[in-house]
Amino acid sequence: MDSPTIVTIVTIIASVAGIAIGVIAPAIMEGLSVIKALEGMARQPEAARDLRTTLLISLAILESLAIYVLLVVLVLLFANPLITRFFKV
Amino acid sequence: MITVNPQVVFTIFGIGVRDTVVTTWIMMAFLMGVAALIRKRRPVLLEILFDFLNDLISEILGRSAGHVLPFIGSLAIFIFFANIIGLVPGLTTPTSDINTPIGLALVVFFSVHIFGVLEKGFVEYFKELVTPIYLFPFELIAQFTRTISLSVRLFGNMLSSEFLVAVIFSILPFVVPLPLIGLHIFDGVLQAYIFTALSTVYIAGAVLANTPSESVKQKSGEKNIPAKKVERK
Repeated sequence: MDSPTIVTIVTIIASVAGIAIGVIAPAIMEGLSVIKALEGMARQPEAARDLRTTLLISLAILESLAIYVLLVVLVLLFANPLITRFFKV
Repeated sequence: MITVNPQVVFTIFGIGVRDTVVTTWIMMAFLMGVAALIRKRRPVLLEILFDFLNDLISEILGRSAGHVLPFIGSLAIFIFFANIIGLVPGLTTPTSDINTPIGLALVVFFSVHIFGVLEKGFVEYFKELVTPIYLFPFELIAQFTRTISLSVRLFGNMLSSEFLVAVIFSILPFVVPLPLIGLHIFDGVLQAYIFTALSTVYIAGAVLANTPSESVKQKSGEKNIPAKKVERK
């Protein structure tokens, strides 16, 4: 195998492993925050509106961590800088 | 066909005009036409929309929306329709190209400071920005990372939900992609709400006064309110 093929294979393995591992932590944290918000809503239904707004905003901030992983994976898959930089293709 | 890079449709003075930009122009013309038509025929509908956006923004801002409303409201309408319009055949979603969300996030970045300066005055606003001087580097980092995360969040969400539909469509092009298109619509509405809410939060952080004495008073006031006791079995 020539070097660009090896780089491509390693890139694919790294992307799949990265998106699989990188999504675990945001998923756990989003679940925990939803649990807490639901507990708060069940205890104090009159505070549900504020809790819902805060929950959505914090979920968006937590979601951005997973989106960063997705962005890195997309760059690796579609616009890999390593192949064109080190090897003349 | 799955591509990340948008296609160049035609060039003006050597600058390539992409299909997402053309879609944005079509969408802007459509929105302006519909707004003019509704304003002539059914002004009540515009009032309902105005009330909805006003309630949404003033609830997050913590006071009446005022002169923040035109900016944030038009941002919300623009992002909502930009997320949805990709379902029309022949048009591409403008927000699934990284340039559109970066442009919107840069507009939010500058408008936060402009609203802060308009509210407090130039010297007062920047004095408040650097008040604990040892926290100023983190404040500076936060200003840039929030702009990046604001743009990347919208881009990543719209691109991933569009990819999902495209991949399932290439495997099973009959009926099966329909729920995923529904998910795409839901994601578009949610992301429009989140972008609006987050930019309102950032503007609220710049506009509202946060002097130490006031915040301390608020905290001590909150402590005086007795918390509801919940009996557990």
